[in-house]
Amino acid sequence: MKKLKRFSPETAVECLLTFLGLVIMIVSLAYGFGTLRRPGPGLYPFFIGLFLSVFSAALLVLNSKPKDRPALFVLEGKKTFLLMMGVFCLWILLMPLLGYVVVTLLATYAFCKIMKLEGWGKPISLSAGTALFIYLLFDYWLYIDLPKGFWG
Amino acid sequence: MAGFDQLLNGFLNSLTVVNLTACFIGALVGTLVGVLPGLGPTVTMALMLPFTLKYGPITGLIMMTGVWYGAMYGGSTTSILVNIPGEAASVMTCLDGYQMSKKGRAGAALALVAAGSFIAGTIGILGLQFFAPLLGNAALSFGPPEYLAFMIFAFVLLSNLSGEVPLKGALMLFLGLFVSVIGLNPLDSYPRFTFGWDELMMGIDFLPIAMGLFGISEILNIAIEKYAPPEVRKVRLRELYPTREETRRSVLPIFRGSILGFFVGLLPGPCTVISTFVSYALEKRISKNPQEFGTGAVEGVVAPEAANNSAVMGAMVPLLTLGIPFAAPSAVMLAGLRMHNIEPGPTLFTTRPDIFWTFIAAMYLGNLMLLILNLPLVSFFGKIAVIRPPIILPAISLICLFGVYSVRNSIFDVWIMIVAGGIGFFLRRWKFPIAPLIIGIVLGPTTENSVRQTLMMFRGNLLLITGRPIAMVLLGLAAAFLVYKFVSPYFGKKIVLKGEERG
Repeated sequence: MKKLKRFSPETAVECLLTFLGLVIMIVSLAYGFGTLRRPGPGLYPFFIGLFLSVFSAALLVLNSKPKDRPALFVLEGKKTFLLMMGVFCLWILLMPLLGYVVVTLLATYAFCKIMKLEGWGKPISLSAGTALFIYLLFDYWLYIDLPKGFWG
Repeated sequence: MAGFDQLLNGFLNSLTVVNLTACFIGALVGTLVGVLPGLGPTVTMALMLPFTLKYGPITGLIMMTGVWYGAMYGGSTTSILVNIPGEAASVMTCLDGYQMSKKGRAGAALALVAAGSFIAGTIGILGLQFFAPLLGNAALSFGPPEYLAFMIFAFVLLSNLSGEVPLKGALMLFLGLFVSVIGLNPLDSYPRFTFGWDELMMGIDFLPIAMGLFGISEILNIAIEKYAPPEVRKVRLRELYPTREETRRSVLPIFRGSILGFFVGLLPGPCTVISTFVSYALEKRISKNPQEFGTGAVEGVVAPEAANNSAVMGAMVPLLTLGIPFAAPSAVMLAGLRMHNIEPGPTLFTTRPDIFWTFIAAMYLGNLMLLILNLPLVSFFGKIAVIRPPIILPAISLICLFGVYSVRNSIFDVWIMIVAGGIGFFLRRWKFPIAPLIIGIVLGPTTENSVRQTLMMFRGNLLLITGRPIAMVLLGLAAAFLVYKFVSPYFGKKIVLKGEERG
């Protein structure tokens, strides 16, 4: 028999959204609520916060019954997710330093390997092809000023 | 006759090398996107926004609609050949399309779908051509209270039709409205929720959020799923001829699907997806042989495909006449037009009629292009459909990163996209609909304007809205829908129209 759970990460998100709604309301009051005749900058976000907290609290109550809550991912999936996010973050951090061509080559190769593309020939040709495509499209055709890094 | 002259002018404007190329590229890329599982029309349109900046708003609009339209065409190919819907609006096509394919009728199914999509697209364009100026003229009398009432009506429908749990849809909508508040308030330049962060002063741009929620989250989703290579059925050109019986059985469903799809397209929510469900259900209900549905009934293939194509045109009506997008792809279009300093709305027909009529003319041409493009290249698209994710996703990821960076040369925007992608990944897993969030972000400023102007107009007395008949009808419709939604389960009836439109 499957084990029924009352709480899950989804419950935590609903709590977080309820809290976010309350924070929006408090901060909005500080901006100045004004009056209905002359609304201040805080009036509109105050009501957004109110609806947000009410709806998420209602969802929290509706979802509070113990039920079968399947895991978000298997271990392998979690690893892939974290690695992919890591490569995205590294791309952002390293692009100004290494320049767009090098980070494109490295990131494409890393993505290929994370997604288990076999061998090294295909990943390398894909990386080179992607870097060339990015150069032609963004640098050559659209004249976008992309970071060149140390080499620029 | 004035309309005809303007349409002729539109044809002259659209028959430029740049516009025809934009139309062709949009249609081709859209078809590829429809064929490839992973990317959807919303994210592709968002990706193409930077490229449209180099040319005018008309070229941009033509290209983006070509993508949306092409995706509807392309989605059917994989549904019929490999039983995998290239995008959400082709789910229903799998049911009978793949069965036809198993019976050796894949070529006929594809040919009929292409012809049906062409007819539906043409009917949709005719509907847009007829209804948009009418509604645009009517909307000229809209004041802030009517706009506010229209927003409330749209939000109620959107929350209810976008996901399995209406509360989740509403929650996403308000989250989107909150994101739109961040930055300097345009009315009094008051910084809100910026917490002293300079990057947030100009607000959070729509594009990185859309790319993150629809693009990056989908890439992450596919990357962690196990890939099972599908089996593709080969189609030869000579197999594309349908039999006389198949053609006869397709004619009426195509017309019914087209008309139904156009009107469903006018509704807020994932209209293209809903139109296919409604159209399939209708055909099955009125069929003399309902037992054939699910075993390869040609009506079950052509009607939903006709419906989703004409729904695209229906969805253009509220966007062009009121400046209100009801679906995620039209929200991207609105963002695109705003990037070109064009604000669609009732005055568009008087201030920039060239935009509307060139767009209409280009759609006729695009529709024809798609018909010509799709039939001979069916085998090619079938091969594309089975490209493994590790080959295509790394390149798409990099294009997303550079695409967002290129708009404002901003690394901050790329961070926003990655964070939105991570959040979108979890939202999808927990079945929170993404489209209301995006529409909330786009419509946030208009909603706030309407709220403020209505309050000031009525001097704080909201009861004065009872003196505005159009606003009262819209609010009444929203209330009636909510009442029906709450009451119907007690009478054994339930609204089953739902479906999240994939980006």
